[in-house]
Amino acid sequence: MTPSVFLRHLHRESRGSRGRLVFFVACLAAGVASVVAVAGFSEGLDRGIRSEAKTLLAADLAVRGRQPIPEVIEAEIDRIAGAERTGVREMLTLVAAEVAAEKPLSATETTSLVEGFDDETPGRSLLVELKSIDGVYPFYGDLELEPTGHLSALLDDRSVVVAPEVLTRLGLTVGDGLRVGGERFEIVGVVLREPDRITGAMSLGPRVFVSAAGLARANLEQLGSRVNYRMLVRLPAEREAEIGSLMEQLGALLETDGRHRIESFTEAQPSLRKGLQRVGSYLGLVALLSLLIGGLGVAQTVRAWLAGRMDSIAVLKCLGYRPREILWLYLGQTAVLGALGSLVGVGLGIGLQASFTRLLAGALPVEHLEMWQPWSWSRGLILGVGVALLASLPPLVAAMRVPPIRVLRRDADPLPPSRTALGGAALILLASLIGLAAWQASSIWIGLLFTLGLIVVGVVLGLAALALVRAAARPRERSRLWFRQGLAALDRPGASTVAGIVALGLGVLALLTMFLVEFGLSSELARDLPKDAPTAFLVDIQKDQWPGVEELLHDERADQIDSVPMVMARITAIDGRQAAELREEVEAEEADQRPGAGGREAWALRREQRLTYLDQLPEDNQLISGELWGQPELAEISVEEEFARELGVELGSIVTLDIQGVALDLTVTSLREVDWGSFGINFFLVAEPGVLEDAPQTRVAAARLPEGREQHIQDVLAARFPNVTMIRTREVLEKVATMLTQLALGVRLLGGLTVLAGLAILAGAVSAGSIRRGAEVALLKTLGMTRRQVMASFATEYALVGFVAGCIGTVGGTVLAYVVLTQGMEVTWELHPWWLVGAVAATVVLAVVSGLLASVNALRRRPVEVLRSVTG
Amino acid sequence: MTIPSIEIRHLSHRLPSGGRMLTILDDINLAIAAGESVAILGPSGSGKSTLLAMMAGLDRPTAGEVLLNGEPIHNLSEDRLAILRRRNVGFVFQNFQLLANQTARENILLPLELAGESSPGDRADELLEQVGLMARGHHYPVQLSGGEQQRIALARAFATRPRILLADEPTGNLDGATGERILELLADLRRREGTTVVLVTHDVSVAELTDRAVHLRDGRIEREDNHPASGVITG
Repeated sequence: MTPSVFLRHLHRESRGSRGRLVFFVACLAAGVASVVAVAGFSEGLDRGIRSEAKTLLAADLAVRGRQPIPEVIEAEIDRIAGAERTGVREMLTLVAAEVAAEKPLSATETTSLVEGFDDETPGRSLLVELKSIDGVYPFYGDLELEPTGHLSALLDDRSVVVAPEVLTRLGLTVGDGLRVGGERFEIVGVVLREPDRITGAMSLGPRVFVSAAGLARANLEQLGSRVNYRMLVRLPAEREAEIGSLMEQLGALLETDGRHRIESFTEAQPSLRKGLQRVGSYLGLVALLSLLIGGLGVAQTVRAWLAGRMDSIAVLKCLGYRPREILWLYLGQTAVLGALGSLVGVGLGIGLQASFTRLLAGALPVEHLEMWQPWSWSRGLILGVGVALLASLPPLVAAMRVPPIRVLRRDADPLPPSRTALGGAALILLASLIGLAAWQASSIWIGLLFTLGLIVVGVVLGLAALALVRAAARPRERSRLWFRQGLAALDRPGASTVAGIVALGLGVLALLTMFLVEFGLSSELARDLPKDAPTAFLVDIQKDQWPGVEELLHDERADQIDSVPMVMARITAIDGRQAAELREEVEAEEADQRPGAGGREAWALRREQRLTYLDQLPEDNQLISGELWGQPELAEISVEEEFARELGVELGSIVTLDIQGVALDLTVTSLREVDWGSFGINFFLVAEPGVLEDAPQTRVAAARLPEGREQHIQDVLAARFPNVTMIRTREVLEKVATMLTQLALGVRLLGGLTVLAGLAILAGAVSAGSIRRGAEVALLKTLGMTRRQVMASFATEYALVGFVAGCIGTVGGTVLAYVVLTQGMEVTWELHPWWLVGAVAATVVLAVVSGLLASVNALRRRPVEVLRSVTG
Repeated sequence: MTIPSIEIRHLSHRLPSGGRMLTILDDINLAIAAGESVAILGPSGSGKSTLLAMMAGLDRPTAGEVLLNGEPIHNLSEDRLAILRRRNVGFVFQNFQLLANQTARENILLPLELAGESSPGDRADELLEQVGLMARGHHYPVQLSGGEQQRIALARAFATRPRILLADEPTGNLDGATGERILELLADLRRREGTTVVLVTHDVSVAELTDRAVHLRDGRIEREDNHPASGVITG
């Protein structure tokens, strides 16, 4: 057959299938929409980050670390003609509104405070992210200020520029005084937008800008203070191409140091993008799931459509159509319909992407998200058409086997399926499924696991459906007629009970899993803290300040006061092997998405370690192996069990630490399990007493503050110990919860689409049989059944389908959520039986409603009309 | 000796039914000469339609051979059979079997296009003219009467000038007068193309219009009647 004849026949044959369009399109569109929305959104975000890379870095190149930038690096930059550099320091600190003597906060507070602290009258305090700039800032992007102008022009050693939130939360205006580090600064402006502040949702406090001289005056940069140092560099345009070699050069200078990292705009926020990619992969799989569920609907629609074309296929075969030409004819139509459904899906997906963008507007790192995403649209189209073709393959292979003798004998059995064709179709299905999943998750392993999981759940659902069908086939003469009819309908030839249950069950499973995971996570965060858990942490307390801080806490009737010394260190070697070398090894493995050897993880080796020294372990620590400080001849260290795995150490391992330039070998002699849920002060690494006492150190404290007094205590603390930072546990948790809620909304939107696809399938399956159902209704009515009884029998059928799908989907979803929460996220699991009952009930209701809605036409037709159209 | 258009040798067909084997056709031997018209007669269940199906390779016999123009077809692959039908065999059915989603003209065009005819449109128009339905070519089957549908089916069956035409109760769903007109048309088209015609019917008066009537009973040939130049569907 020539291509033009094929296309002509394709066009003519399609006339009979246009009625199927609605369900075919609906099934595919929902899935394709989620694929496009996820792909478009993450692709847009990634492209946005890359195109705004310089702005997000505010420079061509940045060197960052928790230690001041080494002078060799600064000297190296200064050697490049035309290059500019700016020093940036960021830290968390408490600031306080300066209270004029004539406007006290409140009578009681003023009295008590004035009595306590004489002239140090505290104003309302606030945890802020302080940023000091020493030079031109930013090199790229805009720093929006009010009044407009350069930051350096506004700031001197006595002024600050603050975010609007600082003004509203402290009740201040421009011109008022703000105490930073106990010193008075004048607020001279407001910062509206900052180019390189990318994690808005995760910040612990609003921004306050101070000049380098100002920071020095505030005297916050003390030993052990948690300061982030950054050097921003702008290269002259003609040297930009050499950025790679410059990075290598600087990297070589920093190699022995290991405390600083170099970033350039060419890498465009690698860790942020990696994180986003991970979220994108997860959501991509969720989207694929809804598309696959849609695929089940497509398979049903195609099967019902081909069932109606059997006679035509037999005639075509009589006229000389070869079986494979029949396959191509219908595969071609499936492809056209698939493309149409996918196009509708792409349209919906673009809309969805736009609403994602709007929903997450505050939390997005980029200014502008590109909506023009042809690659994501093609991805949706390819996946949509691919899934449509794959889903149609089994019924199409069956259609090839329609015997031509049907033209003479309508009851002729289909020809036995060819094993090669069946095996081939199964193989293509499996390989494509793995391929699609791997593509969506960007990992072959995840693709394989996803497919395996899907097959297991699908088989369980299929078996349950078969059991239901078999049970339904048993005669129940004692039950009511409509109930019997409803049961019998599940087992009638051509009923798509099994496919319907599998599709709906998968939909319920996906949605419930997402719901339970999201709820488990947010309720874990919102959960009331343990009764004796601290409500605030105090960090950066200098050794000599502790007695004063402790006294203050006692005076304010805080209880459960706990404080330990803290020493900052870096791991330089483990068992004699250099940390840098181990890190490179693990990073290479992580890049391949293989778990590191022995579970070692790069972050554990990279991070700045915080240690304490204790004689006895706190109550929330439990020794699980080894002995605490039992070997006097060794300098001992106790490691938290999970962290030991991530570091790749065990009992007897020697960990070499660098503490402010002094090397120290510690032997791991015990492993501990820590109950992090207690919110006590805990450390991954605890050294034995007598080893670290002389090291430079600060103190960390935790306490339960009397309810309602947190702000006041913070205010007093800010006034008396300006370098001490207080972090309120509840506030931090609330912030994290807010961000998660925003994310969860997006996830739920996708889950909703999965359920929509499931419903479209059920409705599609019901309507696919509507002609036959019409005849059935007509016959039942002719035999004397009332419309209400017919409806009751239909409702019974759909309710049973919904019940079985709901039960298995709910159990599966619960198990999956349990595994994700307890194993993946280590969150306490709580079972809510009523929710599960609710999920099953909701599935039953949805199945009955959508089933009955799709049967409306069949139910409405008069017996004589239907019988005539069927027989005529 | 001329090769018969259709030759059937020791053809048997058995099907499992209710736990035992049911004999549909039992040792049939039949040779039909090129250009001959033959009616297959018999009561319901005598195996008429199955025999017709075997002649076109629509079904495979349990035993025996079927030869079309001297070439055995009972062991050909599905594909080869399809191509054989495409070029050599035309069909007319009791219930017309027009493709409901294609117009009358498109139904006639289909086998022509499949056979790779150079100007299928002209041939389709010619046939529409011959069956007297030129004005109804753009109508869908559902818009045509039974007689009109069968005329289109005839036009489709003769479109590629097949050497063999197989007709299964072509007048079974038509009233007497319409049925007669269809048979006249069949005879007319056959005369023009010199086609071999095998016609299954239970109507003796229809059978009498052919050169020869083969009577089947319980899957066996009971007797054969020759009607030399007796009626319409003869040479």
